[in-house]
Amino acid sequence: MDVAFSRAALRLHRLFFVLLVVFLYAPILLLAVFSFNDNPTPGFPLSGLTVRWYQQFFSNEQLVRALRSSLIVAGTSSTVAVVLGVLASFVLVRRRFAGKAFVSALLLSPLVIPYLVFGISLLILFKWVDDILAATFGVYIGLGLHAVVIGHVVISLPYTILTIVPRLERLSISLEEAARDLGAGSAETFRRITLPLLVPSLVSSYLIAFTLSFDEFAIASFLVQSDATWPVYLFAQLRFPVLLPQLIAVSVIVMILSILLVGAAEIGRWRAERRLRA
Amino acid sequence: MTTETAARTEAPRVRSWPTTLGLLSGPLLWLAFFFLLPVVIVGAYSVGGLSLFPTDAGLSLFDWRRFLTGESIYMGLFWKSVRMSLTVSVVVVILAYPIGYFLALGTKRRKYVLLLVIIAPFLTSYLLRVLAWKVILGDAGLVNSFMFWSGVRSPDDPISWLIYSRFTVMLVLAYVWIPFVALPIFVTLENLDRSLLEAASDLGASRWRTFWRVTLPLSLSGVLAAFVFVFIPTIGEFVTPLLVGGIRGYMYGNAISDLFTQGLDWQTGSVLSLFLLTVVAILTALFGRFLQVRKVVTD
Repeated sequence: MDVAFSRAALRLHRLFFVLLVVFLYAPILLLAVFSFNDNPTPGFPLSGLTVRWYQQFFSNEQLVRALRSSLIVAGTSSTVAVVLGVLASFVLVRRRFAGKAFVSALLLSPLVIPYLVFGISLLILFKWVDDILAATFGVYIGLGLHAVVIGHVVISLPYTILTIVPRLERLSISLEEAARDLGAGSAETFRRITLPLLVPSLVSSYLIAFTLSFDEFAIASFLVQSDATWPVYLFAQLRFPVLLPQLIAVSVIVMILSILLVGAAEIGRWRAERRLRA
Repeated sequence: MTTETAARTEAPRVRSWPTTLGLLSGPLLWLAFFFLLPVVIVGAYSVGGLSLFPTDAGLSLFDWRRFLTGESIYMGLFWKSVRMSLTVSVVVVILAYPIGYFLALGTKRRKYVLLLVIIAPFLTSYLLRVLAWKVILGDAGLVNSFMFWSGVRSPDDPISWLIYSRFTVMLVLAYVWIPFVALPIFVTLENLDRSLLEAASDLGASRWRTFWRVTLPLSLSGVLAAFVFVFIPTIGEFVTPLLVGGIRGYMYGNAISDLFTQGLDWQTGSVLSLFLLTVVAILTALFGRFLQVRKVVTD
C-alpha cells in the first residue's frame, strides 16, 4: 500500500501538477506565438505568420548595442565572480581559521539583500566617491557599465560559492597532499591538481553568474548612463507599443538561449559528479 | 553519498593565517568596498550626515522620526506591501506544497525531469514573464481582444480590473515565484524518512491522519524556508508593480525608487531603504536556520 497517496489522491495531484504547468508555461508560450503574429499589437484574432519582427531587430542598432552591453557586463562580472568565488570556496573548505562562520555569512549575505536597495546603495557610493575625487583631484568616475559590473559581481559571488563548495568538499584532500609530498608547492598543487578537478563546477558557476547578470534589471537600472544593458533597454522601450513585437522576439531568443545554457551547465555538472563518484 | 562526505576536506595542520587572509582578501575587500561601505553611506544619508545638495547638510533624525511615527505616508505603504507579500507568500506556498508532495512521494523515475519542468520558467527572464502578463491582461491585451473578437464584450468596454490593480500585482508575483518555492518543499519531503510514514500506517493511521500528524509537521522547516524565500524578495519588489500595478498596486519599493530617481529626496529614500534592509536582516536572522541555503562552514 502506498502510504502517501490513495489512488484518487494521486490522480488529483497529477491533475493539479498538469494545471500548474499549463499556468506556468501558457503566458510564455503565448508571448512566443505572438512574436510570429503579423500585427504590431499583440491581440486576437491572429493575423498571419511573419518573421518580420525577428528580421527587424537585427537592423535595430540600439537594440543590438544593448545586447552587446549586456554580454560585456555579464562576461566580465561572471569572470570576476568565479575567480573570487574559487578563492573564497577554497579557503572555506580547506582552511581552518577563527571567524569562519562570520566570513561565510558575510560572503552569502548578498543572497538576501533587496536588489532595489543594493542598486541605490551603489548609486550613492559612486556619488560619494565622485564628490571626494572632484574635491581633491578634480576628476570623477561617473556611473556606467563598470558600476553594473561591480554590482553584479557582488550578487553573483554567493551563487558561485554555493556551486564550487560542494564540489570541493567531495575532492579528498589526499590528492593535494600527495602532490605536496611529491614536492609541489601549494601554488603548483592548486594550479595542477585542485583547479583542473574543479573545472565542471567552475563552468556551471560561470554560466549561472552569466545568466543572472544578463537578466538583472533592478541594480542595472540605477547605474547605467547612456549605455543601457538589455533588460534596462527593454524596460525603457516598453513605453513605445510599436516596438513591442520586436522586443518580444528578442526576449524569446534570449529566453531559449538561457534555458539551453543553464540546462547544459546542469547536465554537465551531473555527469561530472557521477564520474567523480564512479 | 555517505562515503564521500566522510572524506577529509580540511588541511590537518594549522597553516599560517597570512596565506588564509591573503586568499580571502580579494572576496572580502570586494564585499567591504562594494557591499558594506555603500550600506554605511546609505546610513549616513539617512541621518543627514551626507546629502545630495551641499546646502541642506546637518545631522538630524528628523526623517527617521517622521517615518517611524507614521507621520509620512511611507509607514502605511510599508504595511500595505507587507500585507501584499504575505498574501502572495501564503498563496504560493499553498500552491507549491502539493507539487512538492507529488514530486517527492508520488513519482518515481521521472522525478527530476518533472522537477526541472517546474523550475525551468524561473530561469527565464523575470522582466519577460512580467511583460507576458501585461500583454495578456492589458486593456487591448489578449484576454480583452479575445473577448471583443468573440463578441462577449464590446471594444468600448474592456475588462479594466485585469490590469493596474493590487490583484494583478499579486497574481504576477505569485506566478513569478511558484517555481522557486516548490524546490525547498520538495527537498524537505524528499529527505523525509519514508519508514516513519509506514510506521504510522502500520499503527493504523489513515493516510489523511498520517499526513497531518507526521508528514506535514516534519516538512514545516521546508514550508518556512519557502515562505521566507518568497517574502523577502517580494517585500522589496518594485518592477512588477511598475509594470502591472498602476496607482493601486504601488508598493513600498516604488516609493524608494521614486524618491531617488524622481523626488530627489535621498534622505527619506535612505531611511526607507535602511528600514527595509533591517527588516530583511531580522527575518534572515530569525529564519536563517530553516533556509538551509547550505552549510558552508564544515566545522
